[in-house]
Amino acid sequence: MKINLEILEASYLFGEKEVENLNTKELVPTMVLRRRLTRAAKLIIELMSKVNFKDGRIIYGTSFGELLATSNILNSILKDDILSPTDFQNSVYNTAVSYSSILQKNTSEILTISSGEETSLKVLKVGSIKALDGDEILLVCCETLNINNIEEVNTCIDFLESAVALKVRVTQEEATINFDDIQNDGYPKAIEHILQIAKNFSNNKKNIIEVEI
Amino acid sequence: MKISNKVYINYFDSISCAGDNSEELFESICKKKDTISVHTNYVKEKSVAIGKILKDKDLNELLFDRLEELLINTKLKDFSNTLLVIGSSVGGMNETERLFFENKNYEKINPKKHPIDAIAYFLNQKYSFYDDVSFSTACTSSANALGYAKEVIAKGIYENVLVIGIDALSHTTVCGFSSLSVLSSKPCTPFNKDREGMNVSEGFGILLLQKQKQKNSIELCGVGYSSDAHHMTQPHPEGLGARKAMENALLNADLTINDIGYINAHGTGTYANDFSELNAINSLFIDKKPKVSSTKSITGHTLGAAGAIEAIISCMVLDKQIIPSNKGLDEIEIEGINYSMETISTEVDYVLSNSFAFGGNNTSLIFGLAK
Repeated sequence: MKINLEILEASYLFGEKEVENLNTKELVPTMVLRRRLTRAAKLIIELMSKVNFKDGRIIYGTSFGELLATSNILNSILKDDILSPTDFQNSVYNTAVSYSSILQKNTSEILTISSGEETSLKVLKVGSIKALDGDEILLVCCETLNINNIEEVNTCIDFLESAVALKVRVTQEEATINFDDIQNDGYPKAIEHILQIAKNFSNNKKNIIEVEI
Repeated sequence: MKISNKVYINYFDSISCAGDNSEELFESICKKKDTISVHTNYVKEKSVAIGKILKDKDLNELLFDRLEELLINTKLKDFSNTLLVIGSSVGGMNETERLFFENKNYEKINPKKHPIDAIAYFLNQKYSFYDDVSFSTACTSSANALGYAKEVIAKGIYENVLVIGIDALSHTTVCGFSSLSVLSSKPCTPFNKDREGMNVSEGFGILLLQKQKQKNSIELCGVGYSSDAHHMTQPHPEGLGARKAMENALLNADLTINDIGYINAHGTGTYANDFSELNAINSLFIDKKPKVSSTKSITGHTLGAAGAIEAIISCMVLDKQIIPSNKGLDEIEIEGINYSMETISTEVDYVLSNSFAFGGNNTSLIFGLAK
């Protein structure tokens, strides 16, 4: 089965260590909330602003989840230190999109997918099936891998922070973007499918993809 | 999209501290067996009650055994025409912990065996599925997996979906919940006035959902989702998100509040959850009050596996026409709820099962006798 999606808006961010020049202070004026945000939450909130998505269903993908909070917890347990409750609450995989829902008062369905290197492909598949209901959906993927000693396990990812968002709806029109031949060296494979689409998005034409389920 | 196939649960299996299989699980619940044990080796200088499976094999190995049994007991020849949907909150975390605590660095951690996808990665070494996807929304992970299974069969996209909700005990989750001061030092007593908190536990639930009805099928009639949009760990005190999820499930099932005979509550045993969920139930079920119980006093809170295990409990309630009681509920704090005080045999057509999670992620499922 094939489902075609029209990409209404697309945006992506990446940085070797961190994505710089985020507008978090303007987008999250409440300091108490802003201070608790994870890096992934800040990137998602930034992207949602860029693609003008405030309310509606979100399909989020992350292979490694909240790696910094997870590593803080592991190190605290190893060293018999006091474990931070904020680190624990921020360690679940749906943290980033949950903060966005709190910020935007978005009470819609929000689903988090974590399917390893195929995470963004699975986000496209699940998103396509959900989009058959006819609403506009946000598909968003993010990896934030900038933790101490990440080089002990990372040998191939150059951009430790990366995030991509697509605002989509289902369409019957023919595909205009092909994402079979992916060339995204240095980015996490978990975002490569959706990143390829975002890179090929143009405001001057119809942007349609065909997702094979 | 107009296609709306019915969705049938044709096989299920489970393991938890409450039993080696689903019959044992339901018997433990109905007989209020003592299944939660006190441990001192997870949290420094603190006793916590947890639900531990007493087996030599790890959960993944046990899962292999159970999938072999599934293939023998169902009409599936293999999984080549089956979508695998995993729901888990920690994935390969216990393996990561073991290597990290042993080596004090990340060097030996295999990035494929750490994340949520570690379960699917493990299963794909032995089986070939049509496709797979893993969901991780903390304690709603496998409820969302079941919801998605319903959606893809109802829309005519797949005919067979295997849902596995699974979470192993880890220091991260036990110590993490301890840091939030919500763990109980004794078996939890949801809805009871002198509750101490929750019990973290481990286990898995396996459910095969199919388009084709079989002799003893249970129907997954409805799924409802919502987000609290309120707080990362505290549910909305009035239960607005929980109520919306239940309303959406009723809408999806084309049922009314009067059709529900029993609610298997999320019922973790923390004050915040109990208060929010009971307010939601109280505000929605006004005329006919369905029986309400939490089975986490027997199973503990299996986190990402809870939705699947409680779906199995819901199926067994319908199959056996028995509503289980609340273990440890001696003194009611919140009035207006039809608490199940004794396990009873009664006619029940539809069961609603709630799952709520960090981030205000809410999912309600409705199960019914297949007609």
